Amino acid sequence: MIEVVHPGWLSIVVDGGRHGYGDIGVPPSSALDDFAYNALNVLVGNEMGLPALEVIGSDFSLKIDVDVTCVITGAKVTAFIDNMPVKPWTSFRVHKGSTIKVKEILEGLRYYVGFSGAMGLERTIDSFSTNLECRFGGYDGRPLMKGDMIGFKEFKVVEERLIPEEHIPPMNPPHVLRVIEGAEIDYFTTESSEIFFGKGEKVWYTVSTRFNRTGIRLEGEPIEFKQDVDTSIISEGILPGTVQIPGNGLPIIMLYERTIGGYARCASVAKIDHYRLAHLKPKDKVMFEKIGIEEAEHLWMGKRAGMNFLLKQV
Amino acid sequence: MNVSRYGEDGIRIIFGDTIDIETNKTIRRYYFFLKSLHLQEIVDIIPSFRSCLIHFDRDLTSYQALLSLLTEKEKEVGTIDVPEPATHEIPVLYGGEYGPDMEFVVEYSGLTKNEVIEIHTSTVYTVYTVGFIPGFPYLGTLDKRLYVPRLDTPRVKVPEGSVGLAQLQTGIYTFESPGGWRIIGKTNIRLFDYMKAPYSLLKIGDKVRFVRI
Repeated sequence: MIEVVHPGWLSIVVDGGRHGYGDIGVPPSSALDDFAYNALNVLVGNEMGLPALEVIGSDFSLKIDVDVTCVITGAKVTAFIDNMPVKPWTSFRVHKGSTIKVKEILEGLRYYVGFSGAMGLERTIDSFSTNLECRFGGYDGRPLMKGDMIGFKEFKVVEERLIPEEHIPPMNPPHVLRVIEGAEIDYFTTESSEIFFGKGEKVWYTVSTRFNRTGIRLEGEPIEFKQDVDTSIISEGILPGTVQIPGNGLPIIMLYERTIGGYARCASVAKIDHYRLAHLKPKDKVMFEKIGIEEAEHLWMGKRAGMNFLLKQV
Repeated sequence: MNVSRYGEDGIRIIFGDTIDIETNKTIRRYYFFLKSLHLQEIVDIIPSFRSCLIHFDRDLTSYQALLSLLTEKEKEVGTIDVPEPATHEIPVLYGGEYGPDMEFVVEYSGLTKNEVIEIHTSTVYTVYTVGFIPGFPYLGTLDKRLYVPRLDTPRVKVPEGSVGLAQLQTGIYTFESPGGWRIIGKTNIRLFDYMKAPYSLLKIGDKVRFVRI
């Protein structure tokens, strides 16, 4: 059993996402940092796709009543097993009756906690991920609360593995996000889009404190629409990382909770930088830098190959 | 048909630039064509008013490869079996506490409450797309007399089952969620059940008639 002693600020169950139901409006609700999530399952010797906990906030602790291997990936944290420090991105053994505690977050925002074996959870619409807004999937469709118990379907102790420090992706602000032009880029004045795409003088946006898993709202220089265009579009399918510009001109980066959007799309965050979206905190500085689709694809494929190679090595 | 890329792993196939029933039929046919191919490399298909957005697995295919495959198979689009759309009757309790914007609609349209209900229940609507939240149907086309703008400031919480109007569309909130549509009533029918496949009662192209209760 895993007993939630402190749930942090928000802890939910996630996996690689709920795919194949975009036609009925079901969003992926995936783990936001895909590399951290995939690395987690590798580090504890699990098959891919098993559930993990995605946590925001310090003061998170779990009491474990079995012998099992555990790992924390994603944000760099200071963590302890009972009173012994453990390193993030390095699996460690938990002895029956121990408590895992996260005290402080040093870099990034979301971290992932997982175990060797499988937590006793069921898939809802093919996925373990929590759809928080509609309250289904994960643990009863809700964030974990103090006193919640999660059983194990299977648990085991495996040898310790780690991702070397130099391969842990940077998560600290300022965040320079590479982006590809969006479908409605022509809706905006040339001057505005040049500012947005980081040409000439650098313009930084700030992550708003209106904060949720659906989208990241930014504050700063509003993007101006051309005079003769509508500020909304006929609602259309969107993919994660789409940057929408509502009437007020302030960008919203859509995450994994919407299949359709009705605002003009000025850009898409390149996949190579998607993991960073998991780590944008209120007040962080963000800048966009335009790249071409071929370059984005090249970077992403290169990173995928590197990640797959690395994960085979550990 | 106009094809463009959407990020590294998306294809956007555009069939028109307005909301109309013929475009909807074409998109629906194309959507069934895509499904009939049973391609492992297609992760998700999002059909909407003007386009089909395909999310593909970049580890299994590329934009060029998938596009060539689709082009090669394109002649099947016209010949595949497309199921007849289902027709649904949705009972609605109009006005009062379940329709907080009914008064606004009455005032804005210059109609009486009864006329609003009569007009709303006399059209057989088409599901143009499903989304924003799971199972939420965008239904059209609304009679022009019921045209209303969205709320300037969306509500933080719209109750599940609420029936709303926005411009020339009407829709049903399948979950309690934030929303800016003008709410005129509520249904007690469950439109989305995550416990039971196929989960969503309404699908693209389905027909819906509202019935006053």
